[in-house]
Amino acid sequence: MGVFIQGIGNISLQNTFEQIGFPEPVWYNESYVRCIDPDFKNFISPIEARRMSKVIKRAIATAKSSIAESGIEMPDAIISGTGLGSIDDTEKFLSAMIDNNEKFLQPTFFIQSTHNTISSQIAINLKCHGHNNTFVHGGISFECALTEAMLLFAGNRIETALVGGYDEMTPAYFKLLNKINTSGSLAGEGSVSVMLSSRKNEKTYAAIEAIEVLYQPENIETSIEAFLDRNGKKAADMDIVVLGINGDAQGDLIYKTIAANLFGQKAHAWYKHLSGEYFTSAGFGFWLAANCIKHRQVPPFVALNSNSAGKLQNLLLFNHYRNKNFSLILFSAC
Amino acid sequence: MAGQVLVTGLGIVSGIGISVQDTLASLLAGKSGVGIIKYLQTNHKDIPCSEIQLSDEQMCRMLSIPDSVPINRTSLMGILAAKNALADANITPNRALRIGFISSTTVGGMEKSEQFYKDFLENDTRNEYIKIHDCGACTEIIADYFGGFSFVSTISTACSSSANAIALGSNLIKQGILDCVVAGGTECLTKFHLNGFKTLMILDRAHCRPFDATRAGLNLGEGAAYLVLESDENVQARNAKALCKVAGYGNACDCYHQTASSPDGKGATLAMQYALDMSGLKPSDIDYINAHGTGTTNNDESEGVAIMNVFGNSIPPVSSTKAYTGHTTSAAGSVEAVISILAMQEGFLPANLNFKNQMAKLSFTPVRELRRNLKITHVLSNSFGFGGNNTAIIFSKIQ
Repeated sequence: MGVFIQGIGNISLQNTFEQIGFPEPVWYNESYVRCIDPDFKNFISPIEARRMSKVIKRAIATAKSSIAESGIEMPDAIISGTGLGSIDDTEKFLSAMIDNNEKFLQPTFFIQSTHNTISSQIAINLKCHGHNNTFVHGGISFECALTEAMLLFAGNRIETALVGGYDEMTPAYFKLLNKINTSGSLAGEGSVSVMLSSRKNEKTYAAIEAIEVLYQPENIETSIEAFLDRNGKKAADMDIVVLGINGDAQGDLIYKTIAANLFGQKAHAWYKHLSGEYFTSAGFGFWLAANCIKHRQVPPFVALNSNSAGKLQNLLLFNHYRNKNFSLILFSAC
Repeated sequence: MAGQVLVTGLGIVSGIGISVQDTLASLLAGKSGVGIIKYLQTNHKDIPCSEIQLSDEQMCRMLSIPDSVPINRTSLMGILAAKNALADANITPNRALRIGFISSTTVGGMEKSEQFYKDFLENDTRNEYIKIHDCGACTEIIADYFGGFSFVSTISTACSSSANAIALGSNLIKQGILDCVVAGGTECLTKFHLNGFKTLMILDRAHCRPFDATRAGLNLGEGAAYLVLESDENVQARNAKALCKVAGYGNACDCYHQTASSPDGKGATLAMQYALDMSGLKPSDIDYINAHGTGTTNNDESEGVAIMNVFGNSIPPVSSTKAYTGHTTSAAGSVEAVISILAMQEGFLPANLNFKNQMAKLSFTPVRELRRNLKITHVLSNSFGFGGNNTAIIFSKIQ
């Protein structure tokens, strides 16, 4: 079975939406940062957009952009991952409820606060009656969405799918995050939509060979080897590993150990210094991985070492969240 | 048969009982859990809801969880229901078994966040509860109570969430990724939900009346339910007994409106048709439909039309059990999956409580009174969520 990446839309802290390939990095000095947004008028009518929060507007924009790039008319499935959904609307409803003592509340913020609003707003916008689902499992929400898409492809239930990872940052949530985060990571936000198809053509970025999400694996090194083995590969076959290094010393140690032990001679890359860390930041890693293969290039600002990425035939995207949730995505060039 | 997904355990807690046995007894006795709010601290105590008749402290004691552990009601209910399901299946999660836990919730840890939100923003006394606010954290609290799960995930499609959890679990088993999955959902009552549904003006101030011409909205409920799903091979290897099989499921999007269902029931029709297609069954094979039947003007008409679209002139017995449990939102799919399986096992049709007046638009009348001693082989359970997230599941007896 082959599953091919046919289009990607990416709104991030970088100029990834308007530009093709690898835009020059934008570096931030402040700690509260927001995405570089496009003009949403090109994707949503101003009347519709008026009541929509950022996360929904971005999701519709990246969804439409990835679909347009793929040339596919309508996806068979829409599957989204989001850690917090529209946290902005959730906070608005919650604050109003508390401040007004459960009185004088308006339905709009409540309606938009449910996590599945993102997937369903995309569906309503596209008029897509296909399979529609939303994963909300913290730091692996995007990977869970991709896992379900791969299962549906494997079961021959779909031929195309729109998979995405969507999260937004708000001033209040940023404040809360700083209370519970011990890490030195940059907090971010982003919206990545990916069009997948069981058919490849000249537009194809790369193939997704396999994905696996693991919960508290006893030995991640053995788990990675077993994952590669199940897919007919060895660690030595990888040309590059893209790591979720985010500045958190304890968490980064896991990446560094794995990279040294299994992929010592290979090229290593990272991306969270560009995207920031958020529940669905692996979506940005997915964008980077697909583009590295498509353009047969590893831009210097993501390289972690000077090892050659060879022919960029095989790529492993490896991410973990708080050393609890792990994800492995195996890409290959077509 | 290879590729079959079997159900080997059930666990359920809701307003009509904290075990499968209690739930069955309530269904047979026509006993509703809807009443006056006792546990939720809200200014809207006049709105009838269905609560689990246990305090958080009682649940902690039952589960030997110390008071000092930061936890929320949704997770406690989930642990109770999952524990019952695992005991029913006689399974202890462990690493040798490839076992997953897939839960679902709409507002996650909101029950604590809405109590402590001011503290979250203004001081550091409740920071532990910030960590368990998100939906995935609630699932992991439940999974970690047992340990041994190698795959853990959370779905949120509003009121169809736990039906989609059962579908994902089934797909993981069919594709040979896992041998066993505990799938379902949990949702406790929150002020957030109660006030949210109140702003939508779809809460009935009286006891809800699904499929009745005079229906005026839903009653919220809280609940948790899980099914233990297993591959045929795993069931055989451990010489276990299956209760039934997951015969088919369908997921379609109504994509009509964020909070309203389409007049022609497009999404619901597609979901039921997809489930039938996967099962290889004909509409006439279905012996009972456990409807989503919330009691809102909009849902019951849209769902009724969809049932008529799919089943034409031979509509099987239909009932909504929401008047027993209240609408348990994210947990409704798995709560009603358990009820559907009980109806099949015990050969009864639960009455559609509070029905009196026929809806003009519908060609069928819901089950008026409990019927017993029937042969029920295939049941269809509908779950529809905000945003048009529609899912239907068929469970079948093992022939």
